[in-house]
Amino acid sequence: MRRILLFTAYFILLIPTITSSQSYSGKEIIEKVNELLNPEASYGKASMTILTTSGDVRTFIYEQWSKGKGEKNLVRYIKPVRVKDQAILMLNNADDIWSYFPRTRRIRKLATHAKKQKMQGSDFSYEDMGSGDTFLDDYSAKRLEDEVKQGYECYKVELNRNVDSDASYSRIVIWIIKENFYPICLNYYHENDETFLEKVLVQSEIRIIDGIPTAMKSVMNNKKDNTRTQIELINIKYNIDLKDDLFTERSLKK
Amino acid sequence: MKNPGILVIAFFVCLSAQSFALESIDIYGYFESQYMGTRLNNRFHQLYSNKLRIDLTSAISEKIDFGANFNYITYHGKTNWNILEFLSNKIATGISPENQVLYTIPFNDRNYLDNCYIRFALPFSDLTIGKQQISLGTGYVWNPTDVYNIKDVFDPTYEQPGHNSIRYDIYIPGGISVTTVYSPEESWKMSTKLFNLKFRLSHFDFHISAIESNWNFHDYEQRTPESRFFEGVDECRRLIGLSTAGEIFGLGTWVELAQNYMEKSQNFHEIVCGFDYTFDFQTYIMMEYYRNSLAKNDYQDYTLTDWIRLYTSEQKAISKDQLYMMIQHPITDLIDFGVSQIISLSDASIAFVPTLNYSMAQDVDVLFYFNINIGKSGTAYAHESGNGGLARVKLYF
Repeated sequence: MRRILLFTAYFILLIPTITSSQSYSGKEIIEKVNELLNPEASYGKASMTILTTSGDVRTFIYEQWSKGKGEKNLVRYIKPVRVKDQAILMLNNADDIWSYFPRTRRIRKLATHAKKQKMQGSDFSYEDMGSGDTFLDDYSAKRLEDEVKQGYECYKVELNRNVDSDASYSRIVIWIIKENFYPICLNYYHENDETFLEKVLVQSEIRIIDGIPTAMKSVMNNKKDNTRTQIELINIKYNIDLKDDLFTERSLKK
Repeated sequence: MKNPGILVIAFFVCLSAQSFALESIDIYGYFESQYMGTRLNNRFHQLYSNKLRIDLTSAISEKIDFGANFNYITYHGKTNWNILEFLSNKIATGISPENQVLYTIPFNDRNYLDNCYIRFALPFSDLTIGKQQISLGTGYVWNPTDVYNIKDVFDPTYEQPGHNSIRYDIYIPGGISVTTVYSPEESWKMSTKLFNLKFRLSHFDFHISAIESNWNFHDYEQRTPESRFFEGVDECRRLIGLSTAGEIFGLGTWVELAQNYMEKSQNFHEIVCGFDYTFDFQTYIMMEYYRNSLAKNDYQDYTLTDWIRLYTSEQKAISKDQLYMMIQHPITDLIDFGVSQIISLSDASIAFVPTLNYSMAQDVDVLFYFNINIGKSGTAYAHESGNGGLARVKLYF
């Protein structure tokens, strides 16, 4: 099963389309979203701020490179010093994951269950950080009645987890801007209780970068733990030329 | 100046001052304050340490980078630990009082250059020269193919020291790499030579290793009357190893095997296999099995030499079959709680190690762990080994 992890959700490719919007089925809308979420190549630098239950704030800055419509991903932390140069390499749509710990100079091959772990204690699991093919492979899409969300005319699509899937949420409801198929809000429901709203992701400050609409700010509100994580893009480039040898264990250590 | 460590720190401070003008030099590190206490023979002993580590990295050019770190550690409290106090009466009795000092491990203040290397990025290869960390194997607690390091079973993720080596890594497209390491000692024969081939099959990484090194074994019950030192035997150790890591039925899976061919003593093998899994509710579990055929099956056969070799890291284990189990869960967004169990299957002894990690601030971590040994007298994790714990505050800068 192909799954695309990580930050591609935030480095979005959009082929602007003007469509006769009413004719799309839920599946077709999700296919278009899925296409957006997987740029051919991208580089980004982002800051992730975690507001903890105790009110403390933790801020991480990282760089991310992606190629092959999310098939290859490399993430490297820059700050804080505690995690400086820690890196994660994901190949084959995150079916192969390696992590690098500079303190021990050790590269560890991880199993795909590692995607369920929280990213540096944030409200994003590695699985949350991307959507990509998981929306298509792990869920069945049903179009609901259109709504206005954050001032945008939106499609509203409900994704229900397939019986044979081990995805972490029983249900996801997504609001997608009609104009550009950009997913602006996602409600994630608990894995064992499809009525329990566990997390809400809100994406805002949408700008056109290299011709592609991009959310400069994404906020994940964790209703269960009463915490919040915000990701802000510092820099983003699309459709750049990235060499394949960037996505190797050798470059993990750089 | 008496202490060369002060000079080295002064050097780094001067360098850091200059580095404002040299953007390519990066200086960082950590301060670690640690308290360790243990209850032993109805007495409570305490050891404190303070460690300052300064890391220096510099990308001299796109193709050349340099890395180094300097460590300064001070110890306070009970700075001399007699290994005999940790052993059963059966083993410890018979050592004359004047010889007891020979079994003492001192914790002296020290400063040292742990790593200092230069790395050249060549076409499809890297050449690294100098003192550098070398980590081998896929095991979490035990690494049969690692002839350089022996991890602390109570604290297996702590950083390992650097080793003076020349390392050459060749990278071949398709996830294949070849690593050769030469760690020079006083002669070619006594130097460590390592060859490692890494390749990928399906979703598994495989490593095949061939290593030749010198192994200095001591007999801690034999010494010449006029000498303060125990008799050591240098012998050539040749190791053929295989390790792999991947995923089976959703479980992270790893295996590490090593067959050791010894020049003088008996050949032996080591086996590690383990798995791990993360549940949706964030709980992480891990289990690792370890066999060392050099170790013993029956705790009645453990000798004083076996114990001292274990405590001085000459040997990885005293009991043949062991199991490490860990469960960890983030109880809040800043606190992880876990419990590890180290079980000697050979002598039915167990050590429990509850751990708590607290992210106190952005760059400050606090770790607490306790070790509770509940095995019967004379076993690998016997109650007389002492029950205690450790608190460690680490501030990164």
